[in-house]
Amino acid sequence: MSEFDAEAYAWQAAAAINLPLNPAHLPGITMNLALAKRMAGLIEQVKLSPADEAAPVYVVRKMP
Amino acid sequence: MSAAQLAAQIRAGTRRAADVVEERLADIQARNATFNAFTEVTATRARAEAAAVDAKVAAGQDPGPMAGVPVAVKNLFDLEGLTTLAGAKIERDTPPALRDAFLVRQMRSAGAVMLGALNMDEYAYGFTTENAHFGPCHNPHDLTRIAGGSSGGSAVAVAGGLVPITLGSDTNGSIRVPASLCGIWGLKPTYGRLSRSGGFLFAASFDHLGPFARELADLALVYNALQGEDREDPAQHWLGFAPVTPLPEIGGLRIGMAGDHFTRGGHAEGYAAVAAVGRALGATQSVTIPDAAMGRAAAFLITMAEGANLHLPNLRSRPEDFDFATRDRFLAGALLPAHWVQQAQRVRAAYRAKALAIFDEVDVLIAPATPYVAPKIGQDMIEVEGVSLPVRPNLGVYTQPISCIGLPVIAAPIADPVGLGTPGGMPIGVQLIAAPWAEEKLFRVAARLEQLGICAAPAVRS
Repeated sequence: MSEFDAEAYAWQAAAAINLPLNPAHLPGITMNLALAKRMAGLIEQVKLSPADEAAPVYVVRKMP
Repeated sequence: MSAAQLAAQIRAGTRRAADVVEERLADIQARNATFNAFTEVTATRARAEAAAVDAKVAAGQDPGPMAGVPVAVKNLFDLEGLTTLAGAKIERDTPPALRDAFLVRQMRSAGAVMLGALNMDEYAYGFTTENAHFGPCHNPHDLTRIAGGSSGGSAVAVAGGLVPITLGSDTNGSIRVPASLCGIWGLKPTYGRLSRSGGFLFAASFDHLGPFARELADLALVYNALQGEDREDPAQHWLGFAPVTPLPEIGGLRIGMAGDHFTRGGHAEGYAAVAAVGRALGATQSVTIPDAAMGRAAAFLITMAEGANLHLPNLRSRPEDFDFATRDRFLAGALLPAHWVQQAQRVRAAYRAKALAIFDEVDVLIAPATPYVAPKIGQDMIEVEGVSLPVRPNLGVYTQPISCIGLPVIAAPIADPVGLGTPGGMPIGVQLIAAPWAEEKLFRVAARLEQLGICAAPAVRS
């Protein structure tokens, strides 16, 4: 698998959501993406089962 | 004098709310530039509210438990007739709020007098209140140091003696971090306890609103006034009015010391504060909150994603108008893979289940609030355990795992930071943590620490 290229990823992901990027902002963006990737690496270690639901649970309406 | 005592005098007619307001306005006029706490002073409103309180007293009516108490709020709370800035230049273009935020209305109903809006990190995304648009807040204990954030103005206004009570918000630590660094009491209630309506959101699934005070009795006074059902807040889980009384009765409470994650990643003063509080309470049991570091990582990612989504229209159209410190975090947050965010939400739920189980063993946990005392304004890096780390994100290392799952916390200030040996004698606090909806236990433990002389807001040394 190829190494994560934060700068190339930022350009492509930004294009996908119609987010123009100023090249001057890239160092800050890639630094934060790298930090996020480290955090994501931590939570990847948690073993989850199919029964582990996400924390926010949709509520159709508050009970009266 | 505490706010509770002040309110008692005003209610008894021995002191006029109008005089108190004039005294506070003059003090803010004289000293706010030193701290940079207020971004707006609502003098006309304050005078009108004080006059209304005095008129009620004169007419023999009950002006409320906070009669004439001067208060102020982080500038992300709606104040009728003012633009809600949320620390952002971008929001200057927003029309003025049509009514007060729910918690502001609650305080007004209780007789409080609103003096204005307070400085913060832009859109609450920060732990330092070094706002590029409105300038940094200055810590009253050392003006060259940060106040902490993002509710920095709220903490400084109280620590500096401008007002006795303020409100702030806490998504990842934004009440607890500045409370610790400025040496005052702060309360982050259980997620869903207090309404957030009329507060500018940041990361909604973590956003809490809560108070700061110099006196524990005042923290209880305002917390009781803030409680009320608000069906406009989809996250509020109303269980009914649950008033607290800060009585130092801890018999039967099991108190533990947070282990593992909370015993590394900081400086000696953070651990010394926890040890001092533990000794005073006779707490010896070390309790591990399983996967706290995972909880912090999950909170980090979800915050990035929720915050970025909220601000995406402005990130697309006017990124240069953001504070540079928050802009790049938001831009990166907009780009996170969906897998990371969904994994974080599932880890958050699994972590919650493990963490809640510890309350079978203990009622209240003691943990550091911040990893160190207030760094210098403008300081980017700090050395921790031989590693140079960015100052700003690391300030939330102990608070993020707790707000991630919405547990109630009182940030309790160490009364004698000089005696504790903190660098420069700067303040530091601890977190008192309980199970959801158990705020009352926290107030009892806090009251015991106050009674023992371990916790209190240290005086600002000139």
